[in-house]
Amino acid sequence: MSFSSTTDHRPGPPPGAVDSLLEVRNLSKSYGPIRVISDVSFDVPRRSVVTLVGENGAGKSTIFNILSGLTAQDSGTVRLDGQDFTPGSHRKAVARGITRVFQEQSLVQNVPVYENLLLGEEARFTRFGQWIDRNAMIRAARQIIEEAGLDVDVRRKTGDYDFSTRQSIEIARACLTPTILRGVAEPLVLLDEPTSALDRRDEEAFFTLVNKIRRYGSLLFVSHRLTEVLDISDVIYVLKDGAMVTRVTPDETDEHRLHGFMVGRERAADYYYENRQQPPGTAAPAIRAEGVQVLPDGPKVTLEVRPGEILGIGGLLDSGKSRLGKAIAGVIRPLAGRVAIGDGPLRHPEIGHSTRKGLGYIPAERLTEGIIAGFPTAWNFSTGSGGDLFSNRFGLWRGRKERSATLAHIDALAIRSATPDLTMARLSGGNQQKVVLARWLERKPDVLILDNPTRGVDAGAKQEIYRVLRDLTDQGVAIILITDELLELIGLSNRILILQHGGVVAEVPAPPDAKPEEQRLVALMLSGPGRPGAASPPSPAPAADVPAEAKPAILEAAQ
Amino acid sequence: MTTTIRPEPSSPLAPITRLFGRVETGLWFPIGVVLSLFIFFSLMTDSFATLRNFSAVSGQAATLLIVCLGATFIVLMGSIDLSVGAIVLLVGAVSVTVLNAFSIGWLVIPFAALVGAGLGLVNGLIYTKGKIPSFIVTLGTLSVFSGIALTLLDGRAIQFNAPGLENISIGQWIPRLPNIALWAILAWAVLVFIGQRTRFGRYMYLIGGGEQVARTAGVPVERYKLYAFALSGLLAGFGAVLAVARLGAAGPSLGSDLLLNSLAAIVVGGTSLAGGVGGVHRTLIGVLIIAILDNGLNLMGVSQFLQMIIKGLVVIAAVLVSRKSGADQVIK
Repeated sequence: MSFSSTTDHRPGPPPGAVDSLLEVRNLSKSYGPIRVISDVSFDVPRRSVVTLVGENGAGKSTIFNILSGLTAQDSGTVRLDGQDFTPGSHRKAVARGITRVFQEQSLVQNVPVYENLLLGEEARFTRFGQWIDRNAMIRAARQIIEEAGLDVDVRRKTGDYDFSTRQSIEIARACLTPTILRGVAEPLVLLDEPTSALDRRDEEAFFTLVNKIRRYGSLLFVSHRLTEVLDISDVIYVLKDGAMVTRVTPDETDEHRLHGFMVGRERAADYYYENRQQPPGTAAPAIRAEGVQVLPDGPKVTLEVRPGEILGIGGLLDSGKSRLGKAIAGVIRPLAGRVAIGDGPLRHPEIGHSTRKGLGYIPAERLTEGIIAGFPTAWNFSTGSGGDLFSNRFGLWRGRKERSATLAHIDALAIRSATPDLTMARLSGGNQQKVVLARWLERKPDVLILDNPTRGVDAGAKQEIYRVLRDLTDQGVAIILITDELLELIGLSNRILILQHGGVVAEVPAPPDAKPEEQRLVALMLSGPGRPGAASPPSPAPAADVPAEAKPAILEAAQ
Repeated sequence: MTTTIRPEPSSPLAPITRLFGRVETGLWFPIGVVLSLFIFFSLMTDSFATLRNFSAVSGQAATLLIVCLGATFIVLMGSIDLSVGAIVLLVGAVSVTVLNAFSIGWLVIPFAALVGAGLGLVNGLIYTKGKIPSFIVTLGTLSVFSGIALTLLDGRAIQFNAPGLENISIGQWIPRLPNIALWAILAWAVLVFIGQRTRFGRYMYLIGGGEQVARTAGVPVERYKLYAFALSGLLAGFGAVLAVARLGAAGPSLGSDLLLNSLAAIVVGGTSLAGGVGGVHRTLIGVLIIAILDNGLNLMGVSQFLQMIIKGLVVIAAVLVSRKSGADQVIK
């Protein structure tokens, strides 16, 4: 699907008409069977700011990874300054004038700022081969800091500066070293959510810097902050599910319409078996979490889920929703807070104890936390029950029972092509996930916590997983569903919590006959001034940039 | 659905895999090495393929095998135990001291095993509670244990004074087979069973194959790491007392070659240092390779220095050849 066929916003410049610094044409990339970007084309004109917006998983990071040489596309071409650009490594991309600021900081904490600023450039400051001329390095570093308008002593240890300043240092490095040190006339800087970690003061310096660079180079942004995107971009491209949806300019659109482009999909009620959604009864909660805190100085979350209820939790990638799920399950130790399962007492959650009490946890990172790909299906299946179901009290393994139980679940969940002895690596993502699901189904759980259960799962398996979730709620299982997929969040949940920076900013009811709109949830995820490191919990009061229709939800949450 | 389940295509190794309950690939190569070494040395020296020599080899290899059994679990779960040789030395020194102070006779065997388990537990506690890499922990305790042992021994070999005790090692309840080798084979069989048929064994594979996965699924990872180190120490203690009984004394050089030989045997046997792959059953083959190599080169009159070179090269070559080709993994 190319963007030109999907919308009447006729995007893209006419071929050859604009002298672009970067031309991306028909870029596609798959990881295994999963297509992460497909047929994406866009341009970065010279001396301009271009922004890519889209939901989590829309493919923005993959595009950045290709442009910065961390991965290669399957097909499609990239031309930089009119020449073919196939870097092959990050180093070569940097040599061609493309630098990148990563979402996670890559500065070395315990060395002086100037060493970080000139990391990888030491060879320019050596005399007699190996002797490093510190003074020359410090002079060059000072020049960069002054140009960036920062108040930083380059000789001090990087770790002495707070997170926001360090982020500014990193941005300055990416933006200015190409020109100042390498003499690149027209640098292209890739910035992934650059301002989410900046405080107000550093943000101003950042925007000044952007305007400076725009005089000779170009910037390609990824950002969730649509107000800011509209402020600084010359061109905005909207990505959805790995494909380009549209190209707009700030003066022809507004935040609301951008939201629409980002999420605009049809929501099919029967896909999520919404007709099977039951209002939770008045039974005692199956799980209660009190005062769970997952971020330092962050807010505390209190929630409860009743038998047969699906509580959805949504939020941006940095909202702390995955950490919250892990903390409630007891996979990681929460900074504060206690959890009660069933009618048990409130206690510090610990996953071993939680599973014995009837909780199951399905992690988002299937390949590193969910399954051991090199091990047989039966082994992966029985992992959660080694302490009781599949070993006797002398510690002997009950291999035959393990085998028959595996076969039963392979049958019941239609895990195609699986046998107990087959290594998991040979199964598709969907079938792997079904094995993880079976791991907990075997234990007849009372509570299930699922983190992005359908990530990397094909559509068919997705729907089967949804069906199993509905079966479970029919049997009175309480489910906490953490997901980046808005439609899934809306379609499956009885109730939705929106998280920002580790705290609940809104609670939105989602009965089958009055499901909330996607735009409204997106607005809630983006609303407010909350930023990482803010000492106070984000206030539930609506911020200025929340569209009007989001307000009722916030009021509900306040009740 | 069940009708579509077919057994894996049967391999020539089917009897072995049935015995161990897990499909083993790549076992042929180490077995082939054992056979080639056997044939090679049989042709090169007359004294190699004799019953007398086999008695000698089995006696020498027994301590190595017993010590390797526990250490294999440690490697299997992705950690490393460098201190087994030092535990052997310390337990040997303690055993001799205790034997000479109190006449406890054969009770020294459970005593030594318990002391060893205690030392292993020390390793395990520092490793799990301190969250320090096992390499560092056991490198440290390697030095500490050796130091304590040499202090006890005062740097000299001390003979024990317990008549008849040496029979537990050098007696031959089965003709031509020294008892120490019998112990080793029994211990191997028990440990293979533990590795393949118990919860402990399964958890070792799970922790080595994907510690985070095991933890996320509620496996008490830390506790089982402790068990593994205690088991490794227990077997090192057991091996130590048998070695002392065999030699009639504990001296400063007791266990000194075990550090390198144990790791070499485990790795050559096919247990990956990355964890999750291999097992105790394979370690027997690794021990055989190391032992036959040692013995055969000795019989051929090859100098000690050249032997070291050859052994090192064989270890590297064995792992190089049996390693999964093209495996894209971090090597450390």
